[in-house]
Amino acid sequence: MGKGFCALFKKDCRMLLSGKFFLMATGFLVLYTAYVNLGYIRFMQMPPYTVYLYDPAGTQTEKSPLLQTVPSLEAMDAALLSDANGVGLDASDGDVRAVLYRGAEHVDRHRADYALSLLQPPVTAAPEVLGTNTPEQKARREITCELLFFELSAVGFLGIAAVLFKEKSMGVIRVHAVLPLRKSLFLLSKLAVFLLSDLAFASLLTLLNVGLAGGAAVLPAVLLQTAVLSLAMSLTGLLCALLLKDFRQFTLAYLLLAIFAATPVFLSANTSIKLDWIGCHPLYHVYMGLKNAYFGTAVSPIYYAGTGGVIALLFLAVRLAFRREIGKEG
Amino acid sequence: MIAVKDLTFSYGKDKQALHGLHFTVEDGEIFGFLGPNGSGKSTTQKILTGILRGYGGTVSLFGQDVSAARGQEFFQKTGVLFEFPYLYANLSAVDNLNYFASFYPKEQRRDVGELLDMLELKPGFLKKPVSTYSKGMRQRVSMARALVSNPRLLFLDEPTSGLDPSGAVLFRKIIAQERKKGTTVFITTHNMMDADLLCDRVAFISNGNLAALDTPRRLKEKNSSHRVVIDYLYQGQRKTKTLEARSLEAGLPFAHDEIISIHSQEPTLEDIFIQYTGRGLS
Repeated sequence: MGKGFCALFKKDCRMLLSGKFFLMATGFLVLYTAYVNLGYIRFMQMPPYTVYLYDPAGTQTEKSPLLQTVPSLEAMDAALLSDANGVGLDASDGDVRAVLYRGAEHVDRHRADYALSLLQPPVTAAPEVLGTNTPEQKARREITCELLFFELSAVGFLGIAAVLFKEKSMGVIRVHAVLPLRKSLFLLSKLAVFLLSDLAFASLLTLLNVGLAGGAAVLPAVLLQTAVLSLAMSLTGLLCALLLKDFRQFTLAYLLLAIFAATPVFLSANTSIKLDWIGCHPLYHVYMGLKNAYFGTAVSPIYYAGTGGVIALLFLAVRLAFRREIGKEG
Repeated sequence: MIAVKDLTFSYGKDKQALHGLHFTVEDGEIFGFLGPNGSGKSTTQKILTGILRGYGGTVSLFGQDVSAARGQEFFQKTGVLFEFPYLYANLSAVDNLNYFASFYPKEQRRDVGELLDMLELKPGFLKKPVSTYSKGMRQRVSMARALVSNPRLLFLDEPTSGLDPSGAVLFRKIIAQERKKGTTVFITTHNMMDADLLCDRVAFISNGNLAALDTPRRLKEKNSSHRVVIDYLYQGQRKTKTLEARSLEAGLPFAHDEIISIHSQEPTLEDIFIQYTGRGLS
């Protein structure tokens, strides 16, 4: 059995190599790392809105260094025209008046309040800060979690299905039906290759983007969650590839997954949008499991029992679909 | 080697594919299974190779019931050539064979290089990906795959399909060599020439029923008109005569200067198939 598994594993690795899967995964790793370190973190450190102050008489004494002074109202209008998110503060007639292009009402209030706060002295009693992460550490963990979730749920799902479709089109699945090997090994070797590849990807992504010390501390928990998501998505990808006729049909399923499975999870977990039913969405719990792992929060044993059960059920369904596939006409 | 008794199989409520087949295949025999598309040939072969379950009746291979003998040992003793050359297109012939051979015990495996040499695969292609091969070359590699485990029972589905005439001759030679070694061969085919030249016995299957089972020679004899047609020259004129074969025992019973040809009126296997089943083989 061990020898058969090794042969299958080696063959699957060669399939992925020839399909440029590892190259693609490395490319994604470089792209995500560049995005986090060169784009996202810098963007998160920037002030939320640029504030332009017109104060010809110099009435404002407590000015934040974040304020940009403009020489005239015309100059302020020109600045706001090119930076529609910016806020202007007109202090030319004693009172300070906020000038801005209209957006959403609650956001406009926030923009105005933020702009006016830059004319106040710094708060003496510092607010109590919960948690030990700095804003940058928090941002790094959040974005790394999101990117890893996307990579595992979308790219992994697609990758394993692509390999199986290739084998289906070559007809070699039927050859395995008459080989002296346990048929489940054919599926298990694929799951093992993708699991190992996902674990390596998760390790590198975490260490490169969360930082060596911080990343290493959360890595065991992250890898556990990665294994859960990787197995669940790989099995879903296998099931779709076995049940669907061709890759065209599969792309439709992929679109449905992206729209109905991944989008609500991202919206619910990362925005103020509240979806009452999101608790019933299985991927939401997996996403939160991954997020909790990045922030060192414990996950309930019920979650592990549930995901373990789902993975076992998916495996049984995949095995059934696989047996059906190998019995098909040649 | 193979014993099939009252074999039935249904793909659904109203899709009965096999209606109680009954036949045996002896050790070292080449057995031909002939039938048109949709007659139940592939279903039977899938049951025999252990791929399909849920059949009725009994099927035993190597003296063991197939439904009970699903372990690795069963598959170690059988080799299957599918109708289409199912191979990893991204791997070379050598890599494909090494991969498929790795599932069998080392002492059972044949040498991959020797096999490919026997199948006359061009040496320049041995290490090139299968995607660059012609259909005939792929079929040769597939045959090597079926033989690499030195099977005791070989299932061949349309073995010469996609081969040029010299390839077909080579395959027939290899199949005959396998029989000499004691391998039992079960051939599913449309090709009457393969069946006629190779098979010790043939079975005709039509609509899930066995219509006839015998040696090709006996089937032809049984259904022959026992007549011969003779073309000859007499006094400068070409003539034709149809005679009872027995009437030739005492010599040619007519005057002639030169015999041009003698044709027996023996039917072909295809004629016999149509006679038994009312359907052609295509």
